[in-house]
Amino acid sequence: MKTTFKTSLISLLLIITTAFVAKAQDTRIQLGSLDHLAAKASETVDVNVDERLMKLAARVFSDKDEDQRQIKKLIEGLKGIYVKSFEFETEGQFGAADLEPIRAQLRGAGWTRMVNVVSKKEGNLEVYLQFAGEMINGLAVLHTDDKELTVVNIVGPVDLDKLAQLEGQMGIPDLGIESTKSKKKTNEQ
Amino acid sequence: MKDDYLWDKTGEPDPQIQQLEEILGTLRYQPKPLEIPEDLPVSRRKNYFPWLAIAAALLIAILAGGIWLSTRSRNEAPERQAEVTPQAPAPVEEKSPLPAESKTPERKPDSRKEVIAVNRHRPKVATPVLSKHEREEALMAKEQVMVALRLTTEKLSLVHKKTQNTNPANQIRNQHRVG
Repeated sequence: MKTTFKTSLISLLLIITTAFVAKAQDTRIQLGSLDHLAAKASETVDVNVDERLMKLAARVFSDKDEDQRQIKKLIEGLKGIYVKSFEFETEGQFGAADLEPIRAQLRGAGWTRMVNVVSKKEGNLEVYLQFAGEMINGLAVLHTDDKELTVVNIVGPVDLDKLAQLEGQMGIPDLGIESTKSKKKTNEQ
Repeated sequence: MKDDYLWDKTGEPDPQIQQLEEILGTLRYQPKPLEIPEDLPVSRRKNYFPWLAIAAALLIAILAGGIWLSTRSRNEAPERQAEVTPQAPAPVEEKSPLPAESKTPERKPDSRKEVIAVNRHRPKVATPVLSKHEREEALMAKEQVMVALRLTTEKLSLVHKKTQNTNPANQIRNQHRVG
């Protein structure tokens, strides 16, 4: 009887731990706390593409067109893309307190700040990555300027190589990043 | 004679009973603590319940997996079968002096075997055609994805530019700090 109880307890603990681990692996950032800034902003970009929409979108990308095929490949494994971007006409429309809920999420749940650029001209730029083993499982970009606030969150396995391959295609700016594959090729030569 | 002594030891004692009591008294129960010899082999009962539970769970998982796989393969695998129908050799046409117009148009005799592919189960369509509403939704999602990708790459480009334009003097200073 005692052993049965012990086994049940261990199983329950295992289930709870698994649930917590699964929750911790969720790389989606809740951006709802920024919604109130839309009223002050002169321009707002709000992108909410969940896994279902992502799959649906992937189906309308043409396989015949090389550019579209590459984008399709990139988004096929993704579980969501969420963007909130606000542009203001005057300075000081948002503060650190507005960003705190976002930063709090990025401090936990396995996020690592890979890059932090502080520029007087361009504002602050932070790039966060979440890893699942050696794979990137989530990407978050936080850009704050005097008159601009942008948060980008990509959920799912992000292939930076594929992202770099999109440079200059379909209005996507040139990243200037050399993909690891092309690097390998040049090294071989 | 009263039998009281025999029942509750009251009354006059019977000498025969007393004698019997003395003889059997040596075998009387004497309370003393139980002593287990140290060299007695003790077999501990093993509890197999947790192992049985794990084995049962694994068995159920394997069974469920097997059922799922079998139903999946049954639904997916289209059964295609080629039926070969041997055709009897066409009779040799006798040449007749009648003109060609008078003859009814006949199928040319074919001595080859006729191969008919029969689809017993129609395979499920992998990608069903999007409905009008779904297509509209998909196009909107595509636009959103493009906007998001543009923004993301724009920001990453800015990061890249900034990290590439770091002052070399600072790098040297950092190297000194690290070294």
